[in-house]
Amino acid sequence: MFNLLKNKPMMGRRRSSMGGGGMDGGGGGGGGGGDMGNACYVYPIRPAEVPALDPNPDVVFSRGVDMNIPLTMDDGNVVTMWGFSDTANGGGMDGMGGGATFPSAAMRVTEGQVAHTNLQVGMMMYHTIHHHGIEPDYRSDGVGHLSWDVNGSYTYQWRPTQAGTYFYHCHTNTVLHAEMGMYGALIVDPPEGIGTLFSGGPNYDVEVFWVVDEIDSSWHTLPWTAGTCGGDVGLNDLNPDYFVITGVDGSGNSAMNAPAISATVQRGQKLLARYICAGYHPQRLRLGGLTGTIYASDGRPLPVPVQVTEINAVSAERYDIIFEPTRTGTYLIETDIIHWITGEVLGTTRTRITVT
Amino acid sequence: MKRRDFLKAGSAGLAGTILGGTGLISWTPRAHAATISKTFYITDGFITQPDGVSVYFRGFSSSSNGLNAPGEHMIVQEGDTVRITVINTLGTSHSFVIDGMVDSGRISGGQSRTIQFTAGAPGSYLYYDGRNAPYNRLTGLHGGFAVMPQGSSNQVYSGSPTFVQQYFWVFNECDPAWNNAVRNRQTPSGRYTPRYFTINGLSGRPPGAPGAMDPAIDSMADPRTKLDGHLGDRTLIRCLNAGLAKHSVHTHGNHMEWLTSNGQVRPAVWEKDIVPLDGNGGGADVIYPFDPVPDAWPPMTNTTLRQAENEGRHSAYPMHLHDEMTQTAGGGSYMFGAMTDIYFHSR
Repeated sequence: MFNLLKNKPMMGRRRSSMGGGGMDGGGGGGGGGGDMGNACYVYPIRPAEVPALDPNPDVVFSRGVDMNIPLTMDDGNVVTMWGFSDTANGGGMDGMGGGATFPSAAMRVTEGQVAHTNLQVGMMMYHTIHHHGIEPDYRSDGVGHLSWDVNGSYTYQWRPTQAGTYFYHCHTNTVLHAEMGMYGALIVDPPEGIGTLFSGGPNYDVEVFWVVDEIDSSWHTLPWTAGTCGGDVGLNDLNPDYFVITGVDGSGNSAMNAPAISATVQRGQKLLARYICAGYHPQRLRLGGLTGTIYASDGRPLPVPVQVTEINAVSAERYDIIFEPTRTGTYLIETDIIHWITGEVLGTTRTRITVT
Repeated sequence: MKRRDFLKAGSAGLAGTILGGTGLISWTPRAHAATISKTFYITDGFITQPDGVSVYFRGFSSSSNGLNAPGEHMIVQEGDTVRITVINTLGTSHSFVIDGMVDSGRISGGQSRTIQFTAGAPGSYLYYDGRNAPYNRLTGLHGGFAVMPQGSSNQVYSGSPTFVQQYFWVFNECDPAWNNAVRNRQTPSGRYTPRYFTINGLSGRPPGAPGAMDPAIDSMADPRTKLDGHLGDRTLIRCLNAGLAKHSVHTHGNHMEWLTSNGQVRPAVWEKDIVPLDGNGGGADVIYPFDPVPDAWPPMTNTTLRQAENEGRHSAYPMHLHDEMTQTAGGGSYMFGAMTDIYFHSR
């Protein structure tokens, strides 16, 4: 049940290591996201343990895997991202199929619905979907070492009980796969529907998604198996050179007028910003002179909403912020990505809210 | 210079006050303050990391021929007289510090000192060596220290949400080049690039890896670290960070109730699946409620848990830091970093 696909000897290391080599297994070498046969500590499905599925789910999400999503940065460079394709809406059916976006297609479900997420993974590759913040049976949690990684087809079953902002991401060799972009937003709406944050919570008229992430482009030539069999592939040290907001290079002006990132609202309207700290380094979201009210975090209502002009966040935190602007103007929304040790600001993403 | 293999934290200690080999810390409140005595030996040695690299560490150890990095965690009661004897077996100067409570001052190489203080405000603290900061602390000279409210067995602070069991998760990371400089009595220089990440001194070993499920080296098997609970076994976890990196503590299965941040009681208890943990001595007290996982379909109940157990299945979820660089060892080896597992049991 262990050390699958381990069929190569120790290979060259991208960076020098401190020596040693107690790991049982081969190296993490190989080229390109399509490297097929060099993984350790991935765990295949145990069929006898797979639970029966509800035959009548309320909603079904279908996801494939795309290991070649070109993301063009403001400087003209193209960085290869990975992601989940929406196979029910024209995306590729497996790792070679293409068709995904970065971030991956959002999932949107109503509280109380029985949801199925079908994942199809191409041959000789493993991935999972972990619905982050959703807390299902362990066999639907997408954590390989406690259930299994997916090769072929697998369906996760879950029923969200609390409206809010979540996200989903791959949990196989997570350090690499999530950094490569294998994530998407997951929104749980209350029974009242879109326009209400949660039952008993605030309404909103306009909705934006601030999914802020950093990219170390030197990681983006690694194979999906990188480091799993040991060896030093540099995954302890994330040195980002690009900074993105909801899939758009945020360091310049590209996100200033991007749909569902920037927004124009009228005075008297309520704007909901769903902020997801999708990177690994800490972040500081600055609201450009606006005051927002945090009503929920990590998919749970706050007992007492909190008014803020900036938010400090760490990896995978979510904050749901309602704005009720009263003064016309253009407000710059900036997120600093802050080195986890030194506190240095590594980069900043920018978008804006225009109030008319 | 002594060179010893890593020794697992022993179970010796004062009944009811010092952690033993179990993570399920029992605590019996007392009507009156007591005098709590503990001896720490400052020792050093090498600990083999998951990739086979041997790295130098120091620790507040429970015996003169062992190495505990971190030292054994302690629990005392507010108002207790705490008497700590530090026997420095090394040639370098060290100290014993709990912020706001005690500072031993310099304890020279080969010297011993007994310090006595009154346990102050209830809460979670790091004890550590304050000399040569932060290097001595980073090389392992630290441990967890909890002060229980007077007469209470189930509160973090007077009036806090209650719990039935408590754990420490003391995080650290290491750059072997820095540890080696400390060993050579040099001030570490160069960029700090941690390569190993630990919880209570250990890192993960996924199933099938050498050492997997060995509680002496696998943080997913260490009873001080992995959580075991029946439904409703509300579990306090005292998260403390001896390292320099800011972390994102993430639990699967249940959200955490976030009670304190850096020793301060938070204005309101938020339910979070991510709790931030500052570097350089940061802390956070959280309660993992062991509620039925809320989004399972069919729902999790005591009956479904028992059925799983009868079928030989574990209803288990991970805790890992979401700053995922911490999930590696030596630049790769995902799942050999700062993580543990959480086991749900039927009643």
